[in-house]
Amino acid sequence: MKSADPNFGFFVQGVGAVTPLGANAEQTWDELVQGAEAVRQPLPKGFGGRTYYYSAVPPKFTAAAGRQPRLRRSGDISLLGVTAGLAALADAGIPLEEAKQGAVVFAIACGGVVYTRRFYNEVVTEGANAASPLLFPETVFNAPASHLAALLKVDGRDYTLVGDSSVGLSALHFASQLLALDPALPFCVVVGVEEADWVLADGFAAWRMASNRNSFPVFGAKQGTILAESAASVVLSRTGSLRLVRTSPGLPFFSQREAPSVLQEVVTKTCGEHQPAGILCSANGTFADRAEEIVFRSALGTVPVYAHKPAIGDSLGASALLQLVLAKFALTQQKLPPTLHAGDRLQTVTREVTEIRGNEILITSVGFNQQVNAALVAPA
Amino acid sequence: MGYRGDSLALVAIVKGSLPAERRQRRSRSFSALSAFSVWCTTYAAGLISSNAKMQRVLITGFGVVSPLGGDNAENLKSLHNGSDCVSTVTAFDVSRTRCRTAGQVSNDWLKEPMTRKNQRLDRSSLMMLQATREAIRTAGQIVPEMMVISTSSGGMFNGERFYRSLIESRPRAGAARAVANYMAQKPVLDVQEKFGWRIPAQIISNACASGTNAIGHAFQLVRAGLYESVICGGYDPLSELVFTGFDSLQAATPEKIRPFDRDRNGLVLGEGAGVLVLESEPAAAARRATVFGEIVGYGISTDNYHLTQPDPSGIGPKLAMERALADAKLDPASIDYVNAHGTATVFNDATEGIAISDLMPSVPISSTKSMMGHALGGAGAIEAVFSLFAILHQFLPPNINFRQPEPDWTFRVVGNQEEPAKIRRVASNSFGFGGANATLILQAA
Repeated sequence: MKSADPNFGFFVQGVGAVTPLGANAEQTWDELVQGAEAVRQPLPKGFGGRTYYYSAVPPKFTAAAGRQPRLRRSGDISLLGVTAGLAALADAGIPLEEAKQGAVVFAIACGGVVYTRRFYNEVVTEGANAASPLLFPETVFNAPASHLAALLKVDGRDYTLVGDSSVGLSALHFASQLLALDPALPFCVVVGVEEADWVLADGFAAWRMASNRNSFPVFGAKQGTILAESAASVVLSRTGSLRLVRTSPGLPFFSQREAPSVLQEVVTKTCGEHQPAGILCSANGTFADRAEEIVFRSALGTVPVYAHKPAIGDSLGASALLQLVLAKFALTQQKLPPTLHAGDRLQTVTREVTEIRGNEILITSVGFNQQVNAALVAPA
Repeated sequence: MGYRGDSLALVAIVKGSLPAERRQRRSRSFSALSAFSVWCTTYAAGLISSNAKMQRVLITGFGVVSPLGGDNAENLKSLHNGSDCVSTVTAFDVSRTRCRTAGQVSNDWLKEPMTRKNQRLDRSSLMMLQATREAIRTAGQIVPEMMVISTSSGGMFNGERFYRSLIESRPRAGAARAVANYMAQKPVLDVQEKFGWRIPAQIISNACASGTNAIGHAFQLVRAGLYESVICGGYDPLSELVFTGFDSLQAATPEKIRPFDRDRNGLVLGEGAGVLVLESEPAAAARRATVFGEIVGYGISTDNYHLTQPDPSGIGPKLAMERALADAKLDPASIDYVNAHGTATVFNDATEGIAISDLMPSVPISSTKSMMGHALGGAGAIEAVFSLFAILHQFLPPNINFRQPEPDWTFRVVGNQEEPAKIRRVASNSFGFGGANATLILQAA
């Protein structure tokens, strides 16, 4: 068997994001640097008296997308994805009339859970004949991607990848493959997006992965995570200001005990001889923290580590691409924000704004559904 | 550039142009970097496209479990017989839906040894395991490097079970397992663990085109020399939510499914899993693998007309088929059979019919969904295996429940009974929500 993952070496030409902390990527970054924490509110429509919190994106952040005729019946997940995707294209300087030449790749973990729940609730409580046909089409995983493709008039490649919170990095690698397979393809818009729902949080709580508090530590006591809505997007192309030194298709682990060793394998292959100046990790108050802690201590013991999820929340399918978007700012400004609620299990985690010295940032992701992934980025 | 700059840029993009000065500034700052970076990526792409020369992509294993049967042999037999494998739904209440039938995989076919671990496997995982087992049985000893798998609903029925337990205030026992099995990756993980693989997996969810997208992407990876052996395919189980969804759209029929019939009035759903083993020619030769067929072309298009309805002109399907033919460097006349998407909805068959009439006016076509219903994210993969059967056994699978075609169509529907035929090349179509369209071209080895 030959080694199957060549170093594609493509570039991030533009970034976009919409998160509970910001209408765009810069605002999100600035808030994180200032140590802001997203407002947490209870997820509505719970059962059994159980409460879970989440971080919501204010509706005004996606209002422009909602005014598009194609999106007037769409759920939040589509509005978020379109907003971030268009922002990344704007940042890349690609005008709309050229956007149709590109490809669209979405990364999603759980999809349109809000409409899915609403539709199924109608089935269960009112009967199958009462369920609304307006809701059902928007529940499909690829609805958000199709909306963005339609707005951009892309008539070619339009893919949705599903996975866990590492799926954003898998989608990045997939998009790199598309560019490598077709030299005539000028760019891919890669979007990670997620929305939140009480049923989703309760499902994760069944695995002790969701917290019932309104904040959570990382690299400390394992209390579970808090979900967040978000979308993050990059335009991947053959030119740009941020170079993908290495991406990976990721690997699976079959028990939590295996997660550290599998992550180590992926990180070792991703970093090679490189020593990153900083790490943007996926720690979220669950077993993922321990896996990353073990790997960072063993091979990257002096490299500062930043975890964004205590500030924003865990936006699942959006989170890994959000880490990539934040990496761009970290490299440009040569600093990492402070990690909120950082426990004492990992000494290299940032507790205040931390300067970084160097030109490479490692992004790691450990997902609930047993996938790990990593990427190494540097200024072009 | 501040927040307001971003807002203006966003509005400009939406309205169609960026300020010229801004484009110029970006252009100047990138010019020096651009030349070098473009050189780098072009060089990298060149390494892939020329240095590792384009490989033939051989099918060295195949497996299917569907309403037609629990293994390859049973599926083949049902195809030959034109078996109607659609029956009344038993898994959930259909007393309030127009449509009451579906193609269902018998639980008797999904047997695993009764170990504690196997007891936790759900239907999606069992179907994928069964299909993969068949594929490995036909392929022999193989160590794949990658999996590319499709699904459109993942483990949705587990999510349904979980939600019902909440509404009905049932105890939380079993909740964790339902949640784990809800995730789309779980069947892929279960397959990998069972076969002792630890390899990357890409899971594509492009609605009903997913299976063909997954195989098409795997084909491109092997052809370009990025991987030597890839397991690809897809699955979807029947679920109440999705069943009701199609019914709510009045896309499902209360009668027989009649693809390409003038009086067709909707689809029925199905379920199942299909898996192919794709290898490069050198890899297959090195282990003296039996070669069952070859994939020679893949085309993909996106139809932006509407989330659920195709552009009436048929441009979406036509582009997918044209691109597959161009990819294979083939003339449309070289296609001997089209395994159509053929869902029997008024809209799909109309647009697919227009496209096929335009491109391949006298080709024989059939929709095997007539026998088993529409397996959504698994359909393209199942139909790829059926297309391979057509090549291996030189017959045209029938399009059952067929009475008469639309008068404007020029192609021939293989109505109701199989026909022996000389088949070298098959085009397999899959079209889905979100305007996702994909076509594969398979060829005799």
